[in-house]
Amino acid sequence: MISDFLQYLFDGLSAGAIYSLLALGLVIVYRGTGHLNFAQGEMAMLSAFLAWWLSDNWLPIWVAVFICAAFGFALGAVVERVIIRPIGQRSIFAVGVAAIGLLLGINALAPFIWKVTHPEGFESLFPKKPTDFVTIGGAHWRYENIGVLVVMLIVAGLLYLLFQKTKLGLAMRAVASNPESAPLAGIKTGQVLMMSWGLAAAAGAIGGCMVATLRGNVEPSMMLAIFFSATAAAMLGGFDSLLGAVVAGLLLGVIESMGAGYQPDVIGPELKGSLSLIIILIVLLFRPSGLFGSKRVERV
Amino acid sequence: MTPLLEVRDLKAGYGPIEVLHGFDLAVNEGEVVVVLGANGAGKTTTIRAISGTIARRGDVTFAGQKISHASPDAIVRAGIAQVPQGRGTFVDLTVEDNLRVGAYVRDDDPQPDIDRWFEVFPRLEERSSQKAGSLSGGEQQMLAIARALMSRPRLVLCDEPSLGLAPIIVQELFRTLSRLNQEEGTSILLVEQNANLAMEIAHRAYLLETGTIVASGDAKEMLDNDAIRKAYLGY
Repeated sequence: MISDFLQYLFDGLSAGAIYSLLALGLVIVYRGTGHLNFAQGEMAMLSAFLAWWLSDNWLPIWVAVFICAAFGFALGAVVERVIIRPIGQRSIFAVGVAAIGLLLGINALAPFIWKVTHPEGFESLFPKKPTDFVTIGGAHWRYENIGVLVVMLIVAGLLYLLFQKTKLGLAMRAVASNPESAPLAGIKTGQVLMMSWGLAAAAGAIGGCMVATLRGNVEPSMMLAIFFSATAAAMLGGFDSLLGAVVAGLLLGVIESMGAGYQPDVIGPELKGSLSLIIILIVLLFRPSGLFGSKRVERV
Repeated sequence: MTPLLEVRDLKAGYGPIEVLHGFDLAVNEGEVVVVLGANGAGKTTTIRAISGTIARRGDVTFAGQKISHASPDAIVRAGIAQVPQGRGTFVDLTVEDNLRVGAYVRDDDPQPDIDRWFEVFPRLEERSSQKAGSLSGGEQQMLAIARALMSRPRLVLCDEPSLGLAPIIVQELFRTLSRLNQEEGTSILLVEQNANLAMEIAHRAYLLETGTIVASGDAKEMLDNDAIRKAYLGY
């Protein structure tokens, strides 16, 4: 049935857009400092909690989301400067452990700050009445699902322009390509890396708000499963490609949704996450640099 | 006349190991100065100590400004550019973007300078949209030099530019360096093992042995000194 297919596609695209947003952050961090930020999902969760708290008490939700993105930026920058950089000078494994520590710490921090014991209602960013959808080929594409997809594409587009068209973006690409040579061109490497972590966390924060808006609430565990799928997307995309993160995120979202939809008994919503991991395994077996990852070309 | 670059009692090394044991060195405005030395003499360490990429002690003064404690990016801004050993190009970036990175410290439009260096290095223009990593060794070395010049430096530090290049490419490279010095007035401090060609374009030379300067003087006079010629030029 074409309407079933379209329905799974629409649902998958919005889930995938969230994977893409988080994967973009993972890719930016990886390109900058070569680390997998295990805390990416939890930092996004903390940011989403802030947006919830602001909008619940004082601010219109969209304003709260902008502030939350700014907070995410600051959080990422501080984490790089205070935790990642000093530890990174010792060993790359230590950074991994520190990031896992951060994951657990933030996961415990959010309920501690806001004293929440159960999911707190999150005001939707998009029209969310039962009738808020367009009908295409018999399938319902809800406004909120379209909205999440559009937000992701805007964020990805802005990041692309930043990297390709601005001096800061040029500096970021230079540091990613050759961190030893960048200072010899007058680039303050430390500042650039702080910016990278900040941007990554800001993209994640927006992703967190999108998750919250689709769920309709925030809770400390909201990003855990999503983080794994986002990591899978970053890996599938090639880990150093923004385009790869976007495409692979959407692709995994759609595959998970199709798998769960067409095989409700074998796969279903419980096992759809594993589907991503199986696909990664197969792709990486035959294409270790992922779909869009650059094979380093270097002549000597 | 005070020199453009003046180094006094320079000591530097890696961790507890001291490589440079304290020597003086100077480069005058418009000069090509070569530091000759064998493997492990401390040539690269000298370059790194001047460009601020490793810890160092002693006084380094550039154009009247003390830079002994300045960070690498501040030293680039002061007017010293470095062409590191192994070229140090940004292999994932296009040739043109490499040049733009070179102009990072400047606030004006880099395009006129890019066009200018493309004229000097036509091979780079042909490959302007290729990734730097796909260039040959000689082309990468040219790119590294052009990248350094994009910051409009008064002094360029070159760390063994001849390393790993075919003799004919090395000749072309030294001709280019000499031309830059004569036409642009850019001062050059060159460290080299390849003494023959380096001495041809140099005004003055220093001999570095295990972290100490053992001889220095006018390049031509040093070439006339039998002992030095035998030790460093092999004839």
